[in-house]
Amino acid sequence: MEDCLAKKMEITVSEAEKRTGRNAMNMQETYTAYLIETRAVEPQTEGQCAPVDSLWRRYSEFELLRNYLSVTYPHIVVPPLPEKRADFVWHKLSADNMDPDFVERRRIGLENFLLRVASHPGLCQDKIFYSFLTQEGGWKEMVNETGFQLKADSRLKALNATFRVKNPDKRFTELKHYSDELQSVISHLLRVRARVADRLYGVYKVHGNYGRVFSEWSAIEKEMGDGLQSAGHHMDVYAASIDDILEEEEHYADQLKEYLFYAEALRAVCRKHELMQYDLEMAAQDLTSKKQQCEELATGTVRTFSLKGMTSKLFGQETPEQREAKIKVLEEQIQEGEEQLKSKNLEGRDFVKSAWADIERFKEQKNHDLKEALINYAVMQISMCKKGIQVWTNAKECFSKM
Amino acid sequence: AAGAPKPLPSSGPKSLREMPHPLATSSSEEMGPALTPSPDLLLPRSIADKDLSLPNGTPVDTSSPASSSSLLNRLQLDDDLDGETRDLFVTVDDPKKHVCTMETYITYRVTTKTTRAEFDLPEYSVRRRYQDFDWLRNKLEESQPTHLIPPLPEKFVVKGVVDRFSEEFVETRRKALDKFLKRITDHPVLSFNEHFNVFLTAKDLNAYKKQGMALLSKMGESVKYVTGGYKLRSRPLEFAAIGEYLDTFSLKLGTIDRIAQRIIKEQLEYLVELREYGPVYSTWGGLEAELSEPLEGVSACIGNCCTALEELSEDMTEDFLPVLREYILYSESMKNVLKKRDQVQAEYEAKLEAVALKKEDRPKVPTDVEKCQDRVECFNADLKADMERWQNNKRQDFRQLLMGMADKNIQYYEKCLTAWESIIPLLQDKPETK
Repeated sequence: MEDCLAKKMEITVSEAEKRTGRNAMNMQETYTAYLIETRAVEPQTEGQCAPVDSLWRRYSEFELLRNYLSVTYPHIVVPPLPEKRADFVWHKLSADNMDPDFVERRRIGLENFLLRVASHPGLCQDKIFYSFLTQEGGWKEMVNETGFQLKADSRLKALNATFRVKNPDKRFTELKHYSDELQSVISHLLRVRARVADRLYGVYKVHGNYGRVFSEWSAIEKEMGDGLQSAGHHMDVYAASIDDILEEEEHYADQLKEYLFYAEALRAVCRKHELMQYDLEMAAQDLTSKKQQCEELATGTVRTFSLKGMTSKLFGQETPEQREAKIKVLEEQIQEGEEQLKSKNLEGRDFVKSAWADIERFKEQKNHDLKEALINYAVMQISMCKKGIQVWTNAKECFSKM
Repeated sequence: AAGAPKPLPSSGPKSLREMPHPLATSSSEEMGPALTPSPDLLLPRSIADKDLSLPNGTPVDTSSPASSSSLLNRLQLDDDLDGETRDLFVTVDDPKKHVCTMETYITYRVTTKTTRAEFDLPEYSVRRRYQDFDWLRNKLEESQPTHLIPPLPEKFVVKGVVDRFSEEFVETRRKALDKFLKRITDHPVLSFNEHFNVFLTAKDLNAYKKQGMALLSKMGESVKYVTGGYKLRSRPLEFAAIGEYLDTFSLKLGTIDRIAQRIIKEQLEYLVELREYGPVYSTWGGLEAELSEPLEGVSACIGNCCTALEELSEDMTEDFLPVLREYILYSESMKNVLKKRDQVQAEYEAKLEAVALKKEDRPKVPTDVEKCQDRVECFNADLKADMERWQNNKRQDFRQLLMGMADKNIQYYEKCLTAWESIIPLLQDKPETK
C-alpha cells in the first residue's frame, strides 16, 4: 500500500496576509491570502534540509479544490473546510471575516484540511490536489479543464428534496438519519457553549471591580490596608485570566465545528447513493417499459395505454414496415438500456463497497478525534479550576493578614 | 434559579386561648433583675452623682453600675475578654413559627449563661421575636446615647420578593440577631444595661415594656436628634476624622455590596446556560456507540458543576451580603451618635460664650456650664473607647467575612476539579473489542 502524501511531505499553512485586488466584475476587493509551505520528508544527506516550496492561495481556491474532490470522489467523506463566515460567536468574538483572531483560526483550519486530505488514502494521490500544493500559476485552469463541474449533479444542491426510492439501502438511510441528528446536536451544543462562554466571561470580569474598590478602601484603613490592597490585586488577576481560558476553549469549539461540517460531508455521500439508487431504479423502470412496448408492437396486443396506440386507432394502423422500424429502434434502445443498467448496477455496487469502506474509516477517525477533543476539554476545565483555586487561595492569605 | 426557599414547620393555626403564650417560657424564676449595683463595681462618688442628662432633659439611665465614664471603661476587662474572663454568654437559636388568628410570626430562643451577680440565676432561656429586639435596641439608644449600639438586620422586607418564613431567610436573620446580642454582651457598658438584663431574663417582656412606656410618656419624647439650635465651633480633629472615615467606609461597603450582588446575578445566569449545556452532551451520547459513555460522563460532570455553583451562590447570598448590609447600618447609626456628640459640644460652647458675654465677675465657672463640660468629656471618652473597640471588631469581622468568601470560592473550584478529574480515566478508556 502506497504511503499517503502526508508521510512524504510536510505541509503547513504558515501565514495569512491581507490583499487587495480586482474581482471578476473589476471591482476592488479585500481578501486574505494564505501561504502554503511544503517540504519533502525524505532522508537527506547530513546537514542538508530539503528546500521549502511555497505559494499563496485564497479561501475561494480551497473551496474550488474541495468541490472538485467532492464531485470526483463521491464515495468518499471529503474533509470539510473551516467555516466560511464566523458562526456561533459569543459577544467578545468578532463576526468579522477580516478580524485577526478569525483569520488565525481559519489558517489553522485550512492547514488541518490539507493534512486531512494528504493523509486520506483515497484522496492523497490526486494530481489536482498535488498541483494545488505545488503549482501556483494555472491551477485554476487545470481544475476547470477536468470538466468536473459538468459531472456535478445539480440535484445534490436541493438538500431536502426527496426522491422516492423503492428499495433504499437500509444502512445508508440510517446513516443519513444519523448525520442529520449529528448536525443538529452539534449545532445546539455550539450555540449553548457560546452562551456559556459569554456568561462565564461576565462572572470573571465583574470580579475585577473588587480590585478597584479594595484599593480605594485600603486607603482609609490602617491595619487592614495592606491585606485589602494585595487581595485586590489577585482579584484583578482572576478577572484577567478568563481571556486566555476562553481563547483556548475556541479551539475545542473548532474541533466540534469540524465534525459538524464532516456530518454534512457524510450526508452528501448518503445523498449521492440515494440519487444513484434512484437513477438506477428509473433506468430499470424505463427499460422495463421499453421492453413492454416492444412486446406489444411485436404481438399486436396493447396492454398499456399509449398515445401512439390511440392515434393509430383513430388515424389508422401503421404499416408493417413502420412497425418493424419502430421495433428495431426499441430493440436498439433496449440493448443500450441493458448495457447501461448493467454498468449502473456495477457502478452502484462499487460505490457501496468503497463508500462503506470509507465510512468505516471515517467512523474510527471520528471516535478517536472526538474522544481526544473531550479529553482536551476536560484538561482545560481542570486547568481553569486549578487557576481558580490558586487565585482564591492567594486572596485568602491576603485577607488573613488583615 | 436557586432552590426554592423551604418553609418552616409551623405551630399550626390555633385559637389564642388554646395556645400558651409563646413568650411565656417554662422557667419558673421570679421576675425582675436586681438593680442595686454590685459592691465590686461601685463608682467613685464624683462620677456616679453627676446629673447626666441629655440636651432635651431626659435623664441618662445611670442605674447600671458601669455607666458612662472614660476612666471606668479603661478599667473594664473588655479588652481582654477571652474565654477565661468572660462571665456572660448569650445565644440565639431555635426559630419557631407561630400562627395566630391575628398574625404569623417567628420567635427565637435566647439562652443566657452567666456568673454575674446582676443576674439572679446562672441560666435563662426565653423566647423573643424581632420586635422585642427592636425594642431593646431603641431602649439602648435612649439610655446609652454616648455609645455605639450594634445594628439589627433590616426590619422590613419587600413582600413578594423575599419569603419571610423561608428557612434561608429565618436562618440569616437568626445569625444577625445572635451577632447583635453578642456584640452587646462584649460591650463593657452596654452588657450591664438594665433593659438588656430584662430582655434576657423576663418571662413577660410585654409587661415590662408597658411599664417602661408609661414612664417615658411622663418624661417626654424619646431621644431624637434635634436639628438646629446650637452651632458647633470646631469639631475635634479625631471626631472629624471618624466622621470622614465612616462616610468613605459606608460608601465602599455599598460598592462592594453592589459588586457582590452583580456577581451572584451573573453566576445565576451562567448557571441557567450550564443547565441547558450539560444535557446536550447526553443527547449526543444517545446517538453514538463508542462515544456514548464519554459523552454521558461529560454531561454528568457539568451537572455536578451546576450543583457546586448553586451552593456557592446560595452561600454568598445568605452569609456574605447580610453582614455587609449590617455594617452599612452600623455606620449610619454611628454617624448619628457623632452628630449627637457634636450637639452636646455645641451646647456647651454656647453656654460658655453666654457666660463670657455677661462679663460678670464670678469666682468660678457656673455649675451648669461645668455639667455641660463633663457631658462633653464623657461623651468624647465613651465614643473614643467604643470607636477603638469597633475598629478592632470590624477588622476581625471583615477578616473572617472575606476569608469566608475566599473559602467558598475555593470549595466551589475544588468540587468542579474533582468532577473533571474523575472523568479523565473514563474518557481515556479503550472500549472492549466487539
